[in-house]
Amino acid sequence: MTGDVCLSVEHVWKVFGTRPDKAIDMVGRGATREEVHEATGCTVGVRDVSFDVGRGETFVVMGLSGSGKSTLIRCVSRLNEVTSGRVVLDGQDLTAMSDDQLRQVRRHKMSMVFQHFGLFPHRRVIDNAAYGLEIQGVDKDERYERATRVLEVVGLKGWEQSYPQQLSGGMQQRVGLARALTVDPEILFFDEPFSALDPLIRRDMQDELIRLQETLQRTIVFITHDFAEAIKLGDRIAIMKDGAFDQVGTATELITEPATDYVQEFTKEIPKAKVLTTAAVLKPGQGAPNGRTVRLDDTIEGLLPALLDDDSEIWVEDSDGRTVGVVDRQAVAKALEPDR
Amino acid sequence: MTDVLQPTDVALVKEETRRSRFGWWWLALVAGVILLQFLVTSTAVPPLWDTVISGPIDQFATWARENRQIHPIFTSFFIPFSAAVDWGLTTIESFLKWLPWFVLPLVVFLVIFRTGNWKMATVAALAMVYPGLVGLWDTTMETLSLMAIAVLIALAIGIPLGVLSARRPSVERLIRPVLDAMQTIPAPVYFIPVVLFFGIRRVPATIATVIYSLPPAVRLTTLGIQGVPHQSVEASDMFGSTPRQTLFKVQLPMAMPTIMTGINQTIMMALGIVVLATLLGAGGLGQEVLEALSQRRTGRGLAAGLAIVAVAMVLDRVGRSLAFADRTRPASRRYVITSLLLVAGAIVVGRAMGWATFPEVWEVSVFDPVDTAVRWGRDNLSFITRPVNDFIVAGLLIPVRDFLTLTVAWPVLMLVTGFICWRLKGVGLAIFSVFALLLVGLIGMWALSLETLTQVLAAVVISVAIAIPVGIWAGRNRRVDAVLAPILDALQTIPSFVFIIPVILLFTVGQVPGIIAAVLYAIVPGIRITALGIRQVPEESIEASQTFGATPRQTMFGVRIPLAAPTIIAAVNQVIMMVLAMVIIAGLVGGGALGFETVRAVTRGETGLGFEVGIAIVVMAIILDRLTNAWAVRLQPPTPSH
Repeated sequence: MTGDVCLSVEHVWKVFGTRPDKAIDMVGRGATREEVHEATGCTVGVRDVSFDVGRGETFVVMGLSGSGKSTLIRCVSRLNEVTSGRVVLDGQDLTAMSDDQLRQVRRHKMSMVFQHFGLFPHRRVIDNAAYGLEIQGVDKDERYERATRVLEVVGLKGWEQSYPQQLSGGMQQRVGLARALTVDPEILFFDEPFSALDPLIRRDMQDELIRLQETLQRTIVFITHDFAEAIKLGDRIAIMKDGAFDQVGTATELITEPATDYVQEFTKEIPKAKVLTTAAVLKPGQGAPNGRTVRLDDTIEGLLPALLDDDSEIWVEDSDGRTVGVVDRQAVAKALEPDR
Repeated sequence: MTDVLQPTDVALVKEETRRSRFGWWWLALVAGVILLQFLVTSTAVPPLWDTVISGPIDQFATWARENRQIHPIFTSFFIPFSAAVDWGLTTIESFLKWLPWFVLPLVVFLVIFRTGNWKMATVAALAMVYPGLVGLWDTTMETLSLMAIAVLIALAIGIPLGVLSARRPSVERLIRPVLDAMQTIPAPVYFIPVVLFFGIRRVPATIATVIYSLPPAVRLTTLGIQGVPHQSVEASDMFGSTPRQTLFKVQLPMAMPTIMTGINQTIMMALGIVVLATLLGAGGLGQEVLEALSQRRTGRGLAAGLAIVAVAMVLDRVGRSLAFADRTRPASRRYVITSLLLVAGAIVVGRAMGWATFPEVWEVSVFDPVDTAVRWGRDNLSFITRPVNDFIVAGLLIPVRDFLTLTVAWPVLMLVTGFICWRLKGVGLAIFSVFALLLVGLIGMWALSLETLTQVLAAVVISVAIAIPVGIWAGRNRRVDAVLAPILDALQTIPSFVFIIPVILLFTVGQVPGIIAAVLYAIVPGIRITALGIRQVPEESIEASQTFGATPRQTMFGVRIPLAAPTIIAAVNQVIMMVLAMVIIAGLVGGGALGFETVRAVTRGETGLGFEVGIAIVVMAIILDRLTNAWAVRLQPPTPSH
């Protein structure tokens, strides 16, 4: 990771049980999770995971249930203590902090959105949203003002005086989102925030998050079990399996160069034309431009009509309008071929 | 495939070995029983330790009586403490008596009306007026003030303790068995040590009430806090809350409905014991009942009993409307202010007009007609009561008692009890019960305990025979349930002591009224819990059974009852514990056995005897409770082992 690193996770292990050292040692010598559990009674939740997240980046960890993704985010946010390894946020080692120091970091730098929302049913929507500020000791007028503003941003204007249980699931998670945003955190953790919602609402919430992120530019670590969601939201995506990362990369990298069969299993289900951009099928250009051009970040789906009309190549420009290469039917067909 | 089969095979093999071993142990048991029955001719444990426990305790009691005014432990702790409690009592009592009488019904109405239920509010307010109508206003205020101070102390201790035990597993581990024991022990047992330290009259009654009503406050506070969704607590932590902020801003408010339920239960238990505490000379409504019954002034006893019922009903309704208030519709500020103004106005006007005590002219005299009616009932209903009485005495009590006390050699009884404990629960309970029973015998409580056990068994058999079928019926049939639910609701709020009144009116004194009262008292939870168990059987399981073409009967015995079995046994557990409590209380009205000895020990200050009786009762309570609990656990279908 180049550029400004916000969060850095270094060799994090999480072992549940009484003999973590032995368990780590066994894993190091190639034992499987089952063998470790059999021998030590310990469960290996997270196995030597390292990654960096840049400022403003959305980093998605995708894995199925039992892959350790939730354990990982709980370790990173220190809801669980790591067994070994470090989590560094803005140069400060979270794992080495005292409870008091951690509390200060949580008050001012990080927020979390939970899978089952974790709202406070005894508080009105506005008091839920203002909770973080209340904890910091911000006075009532200011915290209500800030909470009201954030509630408006997430589309809950007019619901301030309601109680969470009077709202629909999607709206409840908007409260969860507002509560996380009100404290103006540097980094946001999302622990499967949309998986309890039905598919249409889920899509709305994903779009909402993308829209918010365009203006907010926060650092986000997002956990999901939904590969499509990961592709849609993530600048980079880590595929997690058995407590470790199988592959980390952009959506295009995962689809075009899956590192393992496991990763490929997920990419099969993905409508590639909607995800891959022209960049993924770019060829060096030859000859003179023929007047047909597309942009480098257009999806393949967008060029299909033009390619089907006319089989001549299409010229590709980058965001500055410079020609960088061509695409043709053959390249697109190859990229979209199933089961590569 | 082999992968799938293996675990099943293993389980089958285990099951097989378990069964065959079980067979062997049964043989060993039978052999042991025969052997011991021949070897030992005595049917009671020789009371070798007759004075080992009672002697020193009596000495201590004598010492305490002589030194109560002098010794520092009394002058520096118990006496000031008593004085403080007594001051609190007097203050509350004089305040309640100072209030114009109609203020309490008004408050009751306003609190319940807040939930929008004006019918309930009116009924409860009228019930609050009732004690005045029968001339028991001041007596009721005495009972209420005793209860109020006991509840305040219980909550002041119980809620913080509950919070602490929810937050520290070590504290919970420490106090859970204590609370378990406190809830298993019948209330009068507490009177004995309390009398020793605080003497008689109101203060010990308060202390006994506090002890008895403490467990629900602690338990439900812990339960409420532990029941707060983990995510809400973590969300709070993630915003950098201190543990104190999380407690006060998230955990306590979210646990409030459960805590309020705990407070409600604390109040109801306190009322139950306050009327019993009349044994300690605490006065109040219980005293009224007891005196009336002993003087055969039936009408008065009934009127006082109904006053207790009315107070119980009012307290329960008020408690519930506070506990289940809809949080999303908080009482409007205007309602609260209007209510407060109304109450303040009522006080001012009432005091100005001198209407503090209940107007005598309103009191109605119902006693004479009631006396006549009851006499008529006793004389003319004997064609029912006589056979019932004879059946219980000759058909149940005498054969069982004679079998236990005259036929079975005492080691046999211990062996069998130990064996059952071991099979159902484990070696620990078996060892405990054998030694505990031995202790009961050695201190000379063997025969009395068996007599009490006989009464308990008789009442349990009758209760279960009624409660389980009715419970199953109510669990299956919505209409039956709709009829029964309000009746059971009402019965459940009535303090145990009150059940004795109608029974004793019809059956006069003796063992039978106690047993019938115990049955009436115990079938209520028996029916409720059984119905609950039947109703909780998942609809899918029922439907699955039906799709295979099962008849309703097959579904009942093949699916519903087996799945509800753990809950039904939990109902039996409740029945046993309530019967035991009632059989002890029935000692007040000639039930004999341990109950009578308890009453004697408390009223005559025979502390040593009291402790011995207490030990016997506690041992019986613990063994019966643990056994039925273990049985219920056994019937639980195995859960996935994660």
